[in-house]
Amino acid sequence: MSDEEKFDAIIIGAGPAGCACAYILAREGKNVLVIERGDCPGSKNVTGGRLYTYALELVEPGLYKDAALERQVVREQIMMLSEKQGITIDYYNENLEENTSIPQSFTVLRAKFDQWFADKAEEQGAMIASGIRVDDLLMENDKIVGVKAGEDEMYADIVIAADGVNSLMGQKAGLKEEWNGHEVGVGIKEIIELPQDVINNRFAVGQGEGAARMILGQTGGIQGGGFIYTNKTSVSVGMVVSPAELAKQDKSVADIYQDFKMHPAIQKLISDGTTAEYSAHLVPENGWNSVPKKLYRDGFLMVGDAAGFCINTGTIIRGIDLAIVSGVAAAKAILKESEQPGIQYMKNLEELSLVPTMKLFAGWPQITSIPRMVQKYPDMINETMDFMFKVDGKVPPKMTGALKNIMKSHVSLFELISDGWRGFRAI
Amino acid sequence: MKIIVCYKWVPDEQDIKIAADLKVDMSMAKWKISEYDKNAIEEAALQAENNAAEVTCLTFGTSKAKQSLKDALSRGPEKAYWVNDAKAENTDGFVTANILAAAIKKVGIPDLIFFGEGSEDSYGQQVGPRVAALLDIPALTFVTKTAVKDDAITTTRSIGNCTEDVTASFPAVVCMLPEINKPRIPSLKQVLKASKKPVEEIKLADLGLSDAELTVKNKVKSIQGFVMNRKNKLYQDGSSAEKVKALVSDLAKEGLA
Repeated sequence: MSDEEKFDAIIIGAGPAGCACAYILAREGKNVLVIERGDCPGSKNVTGGRLYTYALELVEPGLYKDAALERQVVREQIMMLSEKQGITIDYYNENLEENTSIPQSFTVLRAKFDQWFADKAEEQGAMIASGIRVDDLLMENDKIVGVKAGEDEMYADIVIAADGVNSLMGQKAGLKEEWNGHEVGVGIKEIIELPQDVINNRFAVGQGEGAARMILGQTGGIQGGGFIYTNKTSVSVGMVVSPAELAKQDKSVADIYQDFKMHPAIQKLISDGTTAEYSAHLVPENGWNSVPKKLYRDGFLMVGDAAGFCINTGTIIRGIDLAIVSGVAAAKAILKESEQPGIQYMKNLEELSLVPTMKLFAGWPQITSIPRMVQKYPDMINETMDFMFKVDGKVPPKMTGALKNIMKSHVSLFELISDGWRGFRAI
Repeated sequence: MKIIVCYKWVPDEQDIKIAADLKVDMSMAKWKISEYDKNAIEEAALQAENNAAEVTCLTFGTSKAKQSLKDALSRGPEKAYWVNDAKAENTDGFVTANILAAAIKKVGIPDLIFFGEGSEDSYGQQVGPRVAALLDIPALTFVTKTAVKDDAITTTRSIGNCTEDVTASFPAVVCMLPEINKPRIPSLKQVLKASKKPVEEIKLADLGLSDAELTVKNKVKSIQGFVMNRKNKLYQDGSSAEKVKALVSDLAKEGLA
């Protein structure tokens, strides 16, 4: 093989994980090739869109300042919906890091962000080849030595699979199995354009500031939840639902999403907007328990969604930051030039807190999958609100009795205790 | 044999939005090489592969058109010329042809100059023939087939409902229709090779064109989307057979059945 066909590293996928890895490797003088299947970086992505800044700081301090970001998140919101009512918990915090004043997180539009990140990696000297699908891995003596794309074979000291939730490369390497229904969610996302001022007013945020909202209830009784993120001149709205539960009933996911959008409390946030994009994707949902047992083999590492790095705590969803952290961990492992970059990679994931954090939340999917979480509890809390705020000129029922009745009409004491126990054990 | 293939960098029509008031919004559009020009590049690449032609490509575009060079070069040409000027933002067939012809003269008139029949955005079909006129060489348009022999090119032109075979000796301009070939999807190695190929930027000032030659003849006042009004006719009365009959007779009236 000639020199021009051999790279220090080939990275498959120009998402946040792949770009972070490429950026650092190229900066440190490595000869890096990033192969992206989409016509341009970002075109294959569906993530709702929030980036925790600390991850970019790991790539290069201050890099975020020039990044393609939308709004700094200052309002964290949790919304629980019953059929016609909705209660929103709204937590305001500018969330600036104490010493550095770096904002904690920003909303992002992946089409823009990924393109920006890929351009940055290219500036550092990485080579980005878009519009090319990698079909297979090249193996020699049980070591992965390169990739095959169409008729072309390309060699590298190490191949990094950053090819997303369905990681075909992880499967080809024999490290990843196909997903089970309970491990993933079906994500739907719509980008609805609205004027900047309208977004500022509807979400009560200032210029450049935004809100991130998680929504429970009104997902057709199906396990899952909705979200709204405010971008500069659009909002990303969507939901993630369990494909297994979806299959048990008749409604299509598109119809359930439509009903969700038409809920009066949601509809007012997005009315008069224009749909700019509508897309669907699989989302890793099962946290640590669905991360492949082994994330490396000789000549091969897995990063980002490909490795199943995603945390859903019910109040926040993390994926992009974990992807970047894992890309950093992989790059640093390769730069150490150790005999076994795979073992070094796992060590780095520990040191960069990714694995410990994922382990901490390993039981969380147990809570988010409590069936009553998506309908009975949101209904119950809204009925409680209704009782507390209702004035119709009649004598209201006694507080204690009324609240007990509301609870009883939704869940049994046994259910409440069992859910509480399940939650307690999961934590 | 030397070939220069010209292409235009255009907004992707998929991303162009037309608002309710028919305003055209191209701000979100990604840009790409005009699809018809991809046919021209492919035809040049085939000539390179089959007849050892030496192919270079040429574009006139703004600084943003830089992004197109790698894509163009991954499709076959060995070198790219790029006339980089903000004037490309607001140009017409007249100005573009003046610039391309001057650039071609500067780098040396090749044996063949390839164009797409028209650009994907404005489809004026002007630039190819105008360049031919400026260089005082023949122009072969609506071409669906080419064959090179010695110092001449024979083309099949698809005109209306007949075809015409025309042979021209070098040098000549050839404008192709999309059915001529299927543009390749560049392979990994072609993409990698492209980033190593030379690119030469040409400044407009170096082309020695007069102000008159750089002043557009067509002044675009506004661009609007258009709506094709639907007839919205419902066939509700009568039996199914009658409804179908009514529909067919209406279609026949429109000359559609």
